[in-house]
Amino acid sequence: MKEIRLARKIIKTLVKDRIQYPARLFADTASIVARCGILLLLYSYVFGLNNGVIKGTTFVVVAWSMFFYFSFSTLGLSRIARYIMQDIISGHIEVLFSKPIFYLSYRAWWQIGVGAYPFVVTTILGSTALIFTVGVPETMATSLFYLTFLLTFVGAVIVSLFVYTIVGLLAFWVEDITPVHWIIDKAVMILGGSYLPIALFPDFMYKISLYSPFGASVFVTHTVYESWATVWYKLIGIQMAWVLVLGIIVYLMFSKAVKNVSVNGG
Amino acid sequence: MSQNSIIVTNLSKTFSFPVKSATAGWVKNLFSPEKREITAVKNVSFSVKAGERIAFIGPNGAGKSTTIKMLTGILFPTAGTISVLGLDPSKDRKKLAYRIGTVFGQRSQLLPNLPVTDSFEFFGVMYGMSDENIQARVSELVELFDLSSFVDQPVRKLSLGQRMRAEVAAALIHRPEIIFLDEPTIGLDVVAKKVLRDLLITINKEEKVTIFLTSHDVGDIESLCDRTIVINHGTVINDLPTRELSKAFAYEKHIDLIPKTNFDSFPVLPNGAVYFSKNKDKITVTVDINKLSVQDSLKKLLNLFEVEDVDVYNTELETTIRHIYERDSTRA
Repeated sequence: MKEIRLARKIIKTLVKDRIQYPARLFADTASIVARCGILLLLYSYVFGLNNGVIKGTTFVVVAWSMFFYFSFSTLGLSRIARYIMQDIISGHIEVLFSKPIFYLSYRAWWQIGVGAYPFVVTTILGSTALIFTVGVPETMATSLFYLTFLLTFVGAVIVSLFVYTIVGLLAFWVEDITPVHWIIDKAVMILGGSYLPIALFPDFMYKISLYSPFGASVFVTHTVYESWATVWYKLIGIQMAWVLVLGIIVYLMFSKAVKNVSVNGG
Repeated sequence: MSQNSIIVTNLSKTFSFPVKSATAGWVKNLFSPEKREITAVKNVSFSVKAGERIAFIGPNGAGKSTTIKMLTGILFPTAGTISVLGLDPSKDRKKLAYRIGTVFGQRSQLLPNLPVTDSFEFFGVMYGMSDENIQARVSELVELFDLSSFVDQPVRKLSLGQRMRAEVAAALIHRPEIIFLDEPTIGLDVVAKKVLRDLLITINKEEKVTIFLTSHDVGDIESLCDRTIVINHGTVINDLPTRELSKAFAYEKHIDLIPKTNFDSFPVLPNGAVYFSKNKDKITVTVDINKLSVQDSLKKLLNLFEVEDVDVYNTELETTIRHIYERDSTRA
């Protein structure tokens, strides 16, 4: 109960914090619109050249799948790794360790709080724009989609937080995790279907996206495809398995890490 | 004032870190590097009674911050035992956090973009306080710390003095039994320092909060703490009432000599006396009264110099502390 109250307080406080800076929200949204918009324009042209269908998939489905990726990325969950690194390098970790909180869950809620406002705004604006420009695919008009989307979304949030927490925790040993973070970030971007829609992945790459935690951290991009009706339980199962495995790794790493704390100036 | 709040027994902390060896290959340096160890705290033992105001002082790198971090559960000791309010900080960190407050002078815990009250409410929830209790406590702290004029301003717009008052107030939101302060007056002007010291004395007296403070500022120690523990090279070298700290060097007296016109020369002083400073308009002489009494030194100095005024006084606490550090460094 106390954890939930604290989580609510963190999110509420950070949304309030973010609202103070509308210019920052505008910059974030503009960046997403530019990146996602350019890719959608390119794919709309490519699909047009092929009578609107590639590998049995229509542009409208691809557009929503890619939008889901970009919308999910506005949550900024990957930044938890950098926050952990900053806490360690700056020594701010001593302030948090002296509070009655579990550091990692605090950092996770903090990250969700930081991303909640831009995520909601970008998703509402982006969805509205897509509905009026490309329409809504039939796959999104089913009850299965709404039920499983929510589940996959929550799973994706947890897997993402775990993947990037592991990267962040490495900073307890190596301090600068920037190169590792960069590699993982790019793996998630590619396997999540931000550049190339997952429907167009070659077979080996599709398998990697299916069975790696990097792909599982953005499974929301799969939910809009027709194949989702037959694979949703498998993908949600994979996500749950990763939640368990990564959760154990995070727990073990953190247990070791807290004994490895050395704060500058002491 | 009888119950022990903190008991530290044979506490040691060794930091181990990898070092690159010039002779080893990169594979060995990466996977099995040589380790170097630094002992930051070595066999430290002391206890603190509830309600005491303790200064834990020492030069840079002496081990005081490491000790404070072990007392608050941030760092794990390599050896020895700690009991803070009957709890072991390394095992009961979260439980202990509900009963202690911390202020790290060089790191802010407040939310920079939001008003001070938001930070107070945030910490109140963190400490599991009810909304009514938070509001009541915030009002109390705003009044006690005189925060009303800036409590609605974003933290990043506050002066350092205002921010530090808010930091200490935030650390007290949950009515801790002990407050650990790591250099709380660092960077503050003299007025802000005095305000903060007075506030700390008030919360010690009114709320019976034990104060455990590290500082390089002699003013903090003199005006705030009734007991001083001196640590150097990771070891406690003095533990005594602050008022007796000066007596540790009571054999030293300073004598200021003010000339009638100007001092033209600075002759050799009698055995037992040395120049502390020498200028044309003022000479300060340090006298070791074990070798030369005050009376004799005055006689001899007045024979050497033509003066208009003389002032004899004890060594200041700052000088005493410097002497203690220097003496210990020479021993080490």
